[in-house]
Amino acid sequence: MLGLRTSSSAVRGLVIAGAASVVLAACGSSTPAPSTSSAAPESSAPAKSLTIAFVMGAEADPFFKAMKVGAEAEAAAKGVTLIWQGDPSQYSPATQIPFVDQVLAQHPDGLVLIPTDPDALQASVAKATAAGIPVVNVDTHVTDLTDVLSFITGDNTDGGAKAADAMAAAIGYTDGGKYKVVVGLTSATATTNVARLEGFKAAIASKYPGIEIVDVAYSQSQPATANTNVSNWLTKYPDLNGIFAIDGTNATGAASALQAKGLTGKVALVGYDAYPDNVAKIKAGIFTALIAQDPAAEAKQAIDDLVQFITTKDKAGIVHEVVIPNVVLDKNTSDADLAKYTYVS
Amino acid sequence: MSTTATPGATVEPGSKSHGRSRLLGIVSNQQVLLLIVWLAMIGLFTALNRIFFSVDVAGNVLLDWGPVVLIALAETFVVVSGGIDLSVGAVIGLSGVVAAYVMQDMTTKGQGQWPTLLVGLVVALAVGAIVGLTNALLINKARLVPFIATLATLGAAGGLSIVLTGGSPIGGGPPNAIELSVPWFGPFSTPVLIVVVIVVLCWLALHKARLGRYTYAIGSNSFAARAAGINVQRHLTKVYVLSGVLSSLAGMFLYLRLGSGAPTSGAGMELDAIAAVVIGGAALSGGVGKVTGTVLGALILTTVTSGLIIIGVAPNWKQVVVAVLIAVAVAVQGFRRNEGASA
Repeated sequence: MLGLRTSSSAVRGLVIAGAASVVLAACGSSTPAPSTSSAAPESSAPAKSLTIAFVMGAEADPFFKAMKVGAEAEAAAKGVTLIWQGDPSQYSPATQIPFVDQVLAQHPDGLVLIPTDPDALQASVAKATAAGIPVVNVDTHVTDLTDVLSFITGDNTDGGAKAADAMAAAIGYTDGGKYKVVVGLTSATATTNVARLEGFKAAIASKYPGIEIVDVAYSQSQPATANTNVSNWLTKYPDLNGIFAIDGTNATGAASALQAKGLTGKVALVGYDAYPDNVAKIKAGIFTALIAQDPAAEAKQAIDDLVQFITTKDKAGIVHEVVIPNVVLDKNTSDADLAKYTYVS
Repeated sequence: MSTTATPGATVEPGSKSHGRSRLLGIVSNQQVLLLIVWLAMIGLFTALNRIFFSVDVAGNVLLDWGPVVLIALAETFVVVSGGIDLSVGAVIGLSGVVAAYVMQDMTTKGQGQWPTLLVGLVVALAVGAIVGLTNALLINKARLVPFIATLATLGAAGGLSIVLTGGSPIGGGPPNAIELSVPWFGPFSTPVLIVVVIVVLCWLALHKARLGRYTYAIGSNSFAARAAGINVQRHLTKVYVLSGVLSSLAGMFLYLRLGSGAPTSGAGMELDAIAAVVIGGAALSGGVGKVTGTVLGALILTTVTSGLIIIGVAPNWKQVVVAVLIAVAVAVQGFRRNEGASA
């Protein structure tokens, strides 16, 4: 019924394409001349530059951020190509193992691994060794270290002991006196927390028997929870002498609680981890002392060990287990040292 | 009214059952029940350590309660509308961190405390509103269910705050800002008093204003609400933006408390918000929930936190206590429904 007049409208559908639509790029690309200028003449012996893969724990942790800065600096100094990999935020073997598999597939000349679990990552070390890739462990280590070229760590137990020394000095410890301190932890299972607490307790038992740890609590990585814990302790123990905040989160929470209660300087606060904001609070007298690790030095040592082994195929001079001590930052520390140990982000 | 008894319930006439149902009516009023539970907790903690019953501890509890009740109020609006907002905790972190950077910059340039805090507050609110608007767009335009939409923004906001900061807290703002969190009116500090005002405003909005009526209507039956002429999409946009804004206020609250914006602040706190709302008597199926219930729910959660520290019980017990409270609260709701909520 409608078919009678359709033909007229159909004609409109024809569009005559203008000739201008065909555009020719007149300027021919003349670049692919057989020039030889790009190949820089390298006179030195290493024909190809080394590639080292670095699989760390969790990108979000300032500790690993600081380690990355050290690794990049040393890689640049040695002319090494660095592959930096790891989960963005989760410190877990389940998320780490795929990253190890992925970097091994790229056949690096060496692997630096921060195993997030001593047993779960053992197979990854075996896999790398079987492929002829030497492995160095940093910070934490796999259970069986025989296949591992070297293991470089900060000493958390020693850090805990140093915290006890700093605490004793801050509260003016004398034998025969009685002192109450509390410890703010992140969780009952975090391995660094456990090692630091062990070192702290051991030093107190052997050197400062008058100090009593009256309470511990967990922040679950929440600075606000750490603040609540400390605020309540300050109410519960009006005669509290000191607080040991075992990591950066607890340090932030404890510092703010002391400030809000007006007890800065009256209750000693020994913290851990050199977050920039916390380092600034040493000068303000809020932290009596901060214990800091040196992740950049750990990374540097790891890369040096690998480069030496890969280029010389010789283990001579490589120390199998290296402990890089924690340092104590307090108001007597020079500005240069404070800057050196502050975790950069 | 009495004819609305559900098929399973037996109707017992007589004065004896009349008295029984009145008693049930009082006990099954969730708010009264929560008040009794809260008072009992205070009694228990005080009996175990006298120090608990003090202005000092009340101040600690209220400082804890502030951010929790803010995100729980946010969650109340969303849950009543029939949705859920998993991004409230991540908004705390992101808004706190972004505001902290701005305030650090202004302080370095020599700006005073009040202009700096005001600009920080506006920036934080903007961050919250943007995340809320994103949630609304994902739900209204991309047609994601609220759980998935807000799970996506939870991940994005949480990841972004870590990317921005490298994991470290951002300080360097107004040096005396932390003193604003010091209680001066009994256990109340200025931020807590502001939160009390916000609670009243939220109560008015949900129970006395059109915003609340529409929210209940959509949560009860979104098809009927649409048929009744409510612009459901536009209204849900308001609800999710409000949720983001309230959460960013919690971010600012925590900034004042810690003196810095930490990327881990608020991580996981969405579970506290949902727990407070559910303990307060809201139904995750939508259309049910009260501001008073949420306020008491948040108060109970934070009282447990401080109480367990004061009496020296391992804080991991908090999770167990909260789990029991949630189970009991939901059981009471079911009980009330079966009773027909009469009398």
